[in-house]
Order: sequence, then structure tokens, then C-alpha cells
Amino acid sequence: MTLTIGKVASLSKVTADTLRYYEREGLISPAAKSSGGYRLYDNDAIRRVRFIKQAQHCGFTLTEIRDLLTLRASTEACCRDVRRIALEKKLQLAAKVKAMKGMSQALDRLIAACSGGSRPLDDCPILAALEKGQRR
Amino acid sequence: MKVELFYTPGCEKCADSKDKLREIATELVPGVVWRELNVLDEFDYAVEVGVLTLPSIAIDGELLFSSLPTVRQLRRELIKRIGKEV
Repeated sequence: MTLTIGKVASLSKVTADTLRYYEREGLISPAAKSSGGYRLYDNDAIRRVRFIKQAQHCGFTLTEIRDLLTLRASTEACCRDVRRIALEKKLQLAAKVKAMKGMSQALDRLIAACSGGSRPLDDCPILAALEKGQRR
Repeated sequence: MKVELFYTPGCEKCADSKDKLREIATELVPGVVWRELNVLDEFDYAVEVGVLTLPSIAIDGELLFSSLPTVRQLRRELIKRIGKEV
């Protein structure tokens, strides 16, 4: 089945601009071009876009997704390679969560240091603590 | 000294190299503690150490190799650390 970019976009629930962006990023490519130069896709494009969206939902970047798609097409790779990548992504997400918790705790300390109110900004303990941190 | 290798089960890269790496560590560092940690079992600890890629190696809790080192690289690192400990 041959599909136009608009049809692929509506079936995949993305915009045509997104599809063109994916193409620039090397994630999908049209199966052919019409005589008028329009992109024409096959059903595989829809499968790939679904794959891309699901992988994004799991936190993978477009670069990582491109690698996953390459891996998917590789005859040498196997399930454990994909599992390792998923595990590494989970480690990276956990590291980000840890860093964000640290930021949240730092904000807790700043918030606790200030009672709010209408003191002038020169006396603001949050700004003072941030300034002090900058000099360190 | 404690050397920890974080791995994912079924990793052939690890299986091929870890014996040689363990050998060099035990040969160079008397009393070295060599641990092989399945990340799935020690996930929180792996995050604490800062492991982002697999396999990785930490020495005394410090992440030093984010992929498997060669025997030569590990030897160099261990010698450097032995020097510091003396």
C-alpha cells in the first residue's frame, strides 16, 4: 500500500512536519517519490513511527532510537543487546531522578531559610544563599 | 581495595574478559575484593556509584571504567592506586 505523508501522519497521530523531521534525523525514509516529487510511504513507515513514539515514551532520545532501529534490522544483534540498552536507559533515568531529588532538597533548604513576607530583596535569604553559592 | 564489575546477565563481552581482569587484579593487589554485580540485583547501588553504561568497573566505590578496560588499562589503574595506598 502506498501512503502519502498526510495519510501516514493521520494514521500515526503525528504531524507531517514531525515526519519530515524524523526523516532529517534518519529515522524514517519514504519508500519512493511520486512523479511530482511527493514522498510516498509503505506500511513499514507507520510501524516505525509507532516504534519511535513508544521508545520516546520510555525516555529514549531520537539518536538512541535511531540506534535501536538499526539494531532491530541487524542480523548480528539479539534480544540481550536490546535488553542491555533498556537497562542502561533505566540507569540513566534513575541518575536523573537522583539529581532532581538533590535539586529539590536544595530548594527545600532555601525555602526553609526564608519566611517570605515583605522584606526588601536585599534581605532575601534565598537570593543571598544563591549569591554565596556563586562565589564558592 | 575493592574492585566491582557491574554487568548485565548474558553479556558475552563480560564473560570473555572478566576472568582475565580478575586475574590481573588478584595478582597485583594482595587481598583485593573482586565483586561481580548483576545490575538487576544491585540496581540502587549501581545508581549510587553512577553506573550509566554496562559493563562498568568501579574501584573503591569510584566509577573508573564505563566500559570494560583492557588488561593493560586496569593494570595501570591498579598500580596507580597501589602507589597511593603505600
